[in-house]
Amino acid sequence: MVAAKKHVPIVKKHSKTFFRHQSDRFMRVGSSWRKPKGIDNCVRRRFRGVIRMPKIGYGSNKKTRHMMPSGHKAFLVHNPKDVELLLMHNRTYAAEIAHAVSSRKRVEILAKAKALGVKVTNAKGRVTTEA
Amino acid sequence: MSVSRPNVSNDLIWQITRNQNAYLVRRNTGGGSQFSRDPLNLVNKHSFKAVGVQSDENGNVVVITKKPNNAQQPAQSLVTVSYGPKTSTRKIYKGVASKTAQHGYRADVREEAVSRVSALRRAGLPKKETPASKPRGAKARQAEEKSE
Repeated sequence: MVAAKKHVPIVKKHSKTFFRHQSDRFMRVGSSWRKPKGIDNCVRRRFRGVIRMPKIGYGSNKKTRHMMPSGHKAFLVHNPKDVELLLMHNRTYAAEIAHAVSSRKRVEILAKAKALGVKVTNAKGRVTTEA
Repeated sequence: MSVSRPNVSNDLIWQITRNQNAYLVRRNTGGGSQFSRDPLNLVNKHSFKAVGVQSDENGNVVVITKKPNNAQQPAQSLVTVSYGPKTSTRKIYKGVASKTAQHGYRADVREEAVSRVSALRRAGLPKKETPASKPRGAKARQAEEKSE
């Protein structure tokens, strides 16, 4: 496995998820974000001490967007042939084995990835057993 | 690439095939990525430029080039040169570089071709086994209890 290419530090400007206003108070209000639209709404009017609204300024640096902490981007693979695509990109992309792949085929994929020096993000899934 | 029809350019063929072709591999993970399975594609990147020489196979490094004059018979227009597993890597570099750059084939892909050869060579090397993990602290105690 090769380390990722050097990159600017990854900065997450807001790592917490944005919950919908008052979703903590009522069962009937789901937590997924909805922009408040009311005329008197304190969140919409950005009062002091209220929750923050998501906005474009919280976006990640384009250079580090979609990057894992290791500096790789994920690429979904289903078979060893997909891993071969990453031969020249093992410093920018890491392989991620698709969820429906059996343990027998996972072993083949892992062997191929090891030969090509490609990082696999979910290498332990279905291959190791719990002690 | 382009056929001998005078009014069909490489650019036109690329415009037609860029959105849908057998080699194209698209993924949504990681912000979306495009790769190409084209055996003549050196970096496996989906792009117009990346068409040239390729190398692979068990132990051997195979270099494929295209003849320009036989465009109507794509299977016969391929020329392959293979280097055995015992050939020194530098020799292969030299061969690949001269094949691409020296004879007016595709001077622009020389660097990529050479770097692919070295990636393939590295992939062919035997790999070390990952060492067994030595648990420490609570996990080590747990393992000890189990073995007793």
